[in-house]
Amino acid sequence: MKKYIFYVSGTHCASCKILIEDILNKQDIVHNVQVDFKKELVNLETESELTPEELVIILNDLIKPNGYSLSVEKKVEIKEKQDVLWQALPIGLFVLILFFLLQKSDLLNFGLGGSITPITSLVVGLIASVSSCLAIVGGLVLSLSAKISQDDQSDTKTFLLFHIGRLGSFALLGGLLGILGSAIGINFIFTAILGILASVIMLLLGFNLIGILKTNKITLPAGVFNFFRKIEHRTLTPLIIGFGTFFLPCGFTQSMQVVALSSGSFMTGMLIMLFFALGTLPVLALLSFGSAFFAHSKYAPLFFKSAGVVVIGLGLFALLAGLAGLGIINPIFNI
Amino acid sequence: MNKTASIILILAFVISLGIIFGGNFGDSGTRQNVEIKDGVQYVTVGAQGGYVPKVSIAQAGIPTKLIMETSETFDCSSSLVIKDLNYQNFLAPNTKTEIDIGAWEAGEKMQGLCSMGMYSFQIKFE
Repeated sequence: MKKYIFYVSGTHCASCKILIEDILNKQDIVHNVQVDFKKELVNLETESELTPEELVIILNDLIKPNGYSLSVEKKVEIKEKQDVLWQALPIGLFVLILFFLLQKSDLLNFGLGGSITPITSLVVGLIASVSSCLAIVGGLVLSLSAKISQDDQSDTKTFLLFHIGRLGSFALLGGLLGILGSAIGINFIFTAILGILASVIMLLLGFNLIGILKTNKITLPAGVFNFFRKIEHRTLTPLIIGFGTFFLPCGFTQSMQVVALSSGSFMTGMLIMLFFALGTLPVLALLSFGSAFFAHSKYAPLFFKSAGVVVIGLGLFALLAGLAGLGIINPIFNI
Repeated sequence: MNKTASIILILAFVISLGIIFGGNFGDSGTRQNVEIKDGVQYVTVGAQGGYVPKVSIAQAGIPTKLIMETSETFDCSSSLVIKDLNYQNFLAPNTKTEIDIGAWEAGEKMQGLCSMGMYSFQIKFE
């Protein structure tokens, strides 16, 4: 019986500890695997005569698919060139300027005619997806997508699930609004608080993307993650987040919800909300799959940092606007 | 890109963002949208992609009604919040909505916001 201590990298959350222990403890060649999440160490015992180096190669094959890797020696974190941030800052700021200039211009304000049909709601969705709603929904999509692409190899499935969850929830809840009518009132305070929550998540992920929050990793208690893992969180979480976007504050979404609400029919409500969500799909899909594309290219470091700057900017905007909406602070912006 | 060029660009961009957001400071307000009929003061504010005018000047001490005018408004400006009155409502796309805001004292300011908080307007009472 020999005891080894290996270094592990890629552990970004408490659930990783459980996952690695689960995988490795199933193997016959090692016993008593214990992961020290804080120190990024794996303690294990083995009876095999393999050298530590050989053992690491075998074990790595098992946990590599989940994004972790073991090493005999501590990997010195490759210090990214500071230059990247200096390039990313102007790029990110430039994107923010373009976005807010678009809001200030009258391009997004044009007439749509009288009554709302699914086709008009599709157009409203298209406009909404480049409007100030993008600050919250798009910012959230961009930050989550960039983060997922950074951590995870199988991001396409996650993104697909998110968009399916979004389309499904809009159709279903739109239909429910149609039949239940004002029984489910859409509460301003509720959406405002959700918006603030979303903007805080965006800020955290934004700082994480530009590398400021790397040292103090965002962790949830292992128990919470364990729960999500049991119900296959890789499938369910993106679906739930997609579902939740129905309630995020966005003037356009709310006006379509009111149309669905006053329609009095399940079909009409469903079609209105589904087509609205379809209208927002091209831009949101571009954001998520575009992130994946850049994340797997050689521009990945620059992309993550630029996306981080954009997300922080949008997050700040959404947070301050949300607080003003709740009357906590005076409105700072009036675009 | 070298660091100096980048810092210059960043400064330029930050200043432009400041101009985009700070464009409304020093708006002295208008009285053109205020009229008094039969002892009641009516202040009309348009809601579409923001609120117009952003600052209105009304007379203090008379019963006042706010008329919110939407024209094919689907954006945030249609979900109106007036904190001072505890008023929250969704304005239908093509309507005039009358809101009784009562009489205000000179020097007071009433503020309306859209629920997401990025559009706002003010009525100053003099």
